[in-house]
Amino acid sequence: MKKNNIEGWLFVSPLVIWISLIILVPIYIAFELSLFNVKIIGTSGKFVGIDNYIKLLGKSKFINASLNSLYWIIGNAICQTFFAFTIALTINYKFPGKKIMANWIILSFIIPTVVVVVIWKLMLSSSSGVINSVLIDIGFLDEATGFFSSPNKAFISLVLINSWRWSPFLALIILSGLNSINREMYDASKVDGANFVQQFLFITFPNLKSVLFVLGLVGTLLSFNIFDIIWLITKGGPSSATTTLPLLIYETAFTKFRISHAATLSIVTSFLLLLFSIIFIKSMAPKEDD
Amino acid sequence: MIKENNIKFIFLSLSLLLIIIIFFFPFFWIITSSFKIPEEIIATSTTIIPRSFTLEHYNKILFNSDFFIYLKNSLIVSFSSMVISIILSVSAAYGLHKLKFYGNKFVEYSLLVTYAFPGVILLVPIYLLFAKVNLLNSYFALIIVNVLFATPFAVWMLKAFFKLIPNEIEEAAYIDGASRYIVISRIIVPLAAPGIASVAIFCFIISWTEYLFASILISGDDLKTLPVGLAGIVGQYQIDWGFLLSGAVLASLPVILLFVFIGKYFVSGLTEGAVK
Repeated sequence: MKKNNIEGWLFVSPLVIWISLIILVPIYIAFELSLFNVKIIGTSGKFVGIDNYIKLLGKSKFINASLNSLYWIIGNAICQTFFAFTIALTINYKFPGKKIMANWIILSFIIPTVVVVVIWKLMLSSSSGVINSVLIDIGFLDEATGFFSSPNKAFISLVLINSWRWSPFLALIILSGLNSINREMYDASKVDGANFVQQFLFITFPNLKSVLFVLGLVGTLLSFNIFDIIWLITKGGPSSATTTLPLLIYETAFTKFRISHAATLSIVTSFLLLLFSIIFIKSMAPKEDD
Repeated sequence: MIKENNIKFIFLSLSLLLIIIIFFFPFFWIITSSFKIPEEIIATSTTIIPRSFTLEHYNKILFNSDFFIYLKNSLIVSFSSMVISIILSVSAAYGLHKLKFYGNKFVEYSLLVTYAFPGVILLVPIYLLFAKVNLLNSYFALIIVNVLFATPFAVWMLKAFFKLIPNEIEEAAYIDGASRYIVISRIIVPLAAPGIASVAIFCFIISWTEYLFASILISGDDLKTLPVGLAGIVGQYQIDWGFLLSGAVLASLPVILLFVFIGKYFVSGLTEGAVK
């Protein structure tokens, strides 16, 4: 195909410049900060070279937060894949009210995260939450439990809340993949006697490759990013069980006032994510057919 | 054959029921709760059908709080972010879609990665940068950041919509002597209007729900956005649930209203165009 260099760059450059300025300049600032010993914002510190990096990588707080982030990504991936596929496959069938459901299933994604927090804080409240009283009524629990009181319960509750927010959005993207699959393939497989489990495994799933690639990459990074839901519900507790890397960075900068340490954490984190993205794109990117 | 259909029917009904309980019931719950008297909201025995009805919480939030100031700020920030995002991403998406240029694949993948770029990594340095150039405590600080978060996915969606426009239409226009500018403004944009509407709603939602940067970059009460205002109530030791719930419902109302009108474009845009 004919290349159209100058005109092409002319069209993308306003956005590319905007994005690069707002990402690259701050990253440069963060890198510079990470070599100094700045504590409170606005003060200056002395040059310490790579000391921050050496100190930080061995710290148990950093290791704990990295592991939490890893569990967070895995937990969300499992939960959201389950919910998103259930929603997508269900909406893909014909039933009365399908249109309304397809339009409004995404409600949990369009409302502010703070509202998501309000909803689940009320529903999961230990003193008056509706979930507790329903679980007691059906005999599943003897007495009200605090869903955020122990490290494990808090972590799992947060994963479920975050999945609740994101799954419908992901479901719609999976639906876009489902819609692009040729219907005739299902009819042909039926003639050959395939049941719907086989159809899912051998037609639906392989044909979703390019969708799943985008979801795998973007979804992982997006889960990693989650800050407000965790911060507003548990503040990273109990006993740092829900402190993921974004929370650690925030805490280090804005409650402990260790600006240089926070900058160092940011640089290390971006490096890890960049590495993940490159490996993911290189190894999983579907071949282009156009 | 009949047997398989029965199994399908059972599966379908079960998952429908599950989806309704998990994804729709919580909305029913907070909306009805926002009209309950405080004693019922925090009662230990709960009933699905509300037993009381009051407008006291809405009265308080509408006439006795800073709600309208926050609403105004949220509207200004979200609307401006949306307009700027659309202009930048229509141009970029057209360039990526139509004009193959050196580095286009790199730009495309970089955008995808930027979409998921962790905002919190930028939080500290952006705070310092904006402090230096005197942008803290301004709408523009939030707009700059929101555009950054909204545009990458917007470009990705728009590209898919542009692909749906037959090439012949555009080529015919060039033969008739139309310029690139005319083709974009008279042909591409009108034909992709549903797509642009759905991308617009996406950009609006991203800005409307943004909390992290709004909570750090804005400190003046008169410039706070709705999410930050609400989070202030969530953080209080003794939560006034009725007040908080009515605030949550009202803060969701604008996006929901927007969604009533152009939501179907957004959903069909996602389900029919997004990742092709």
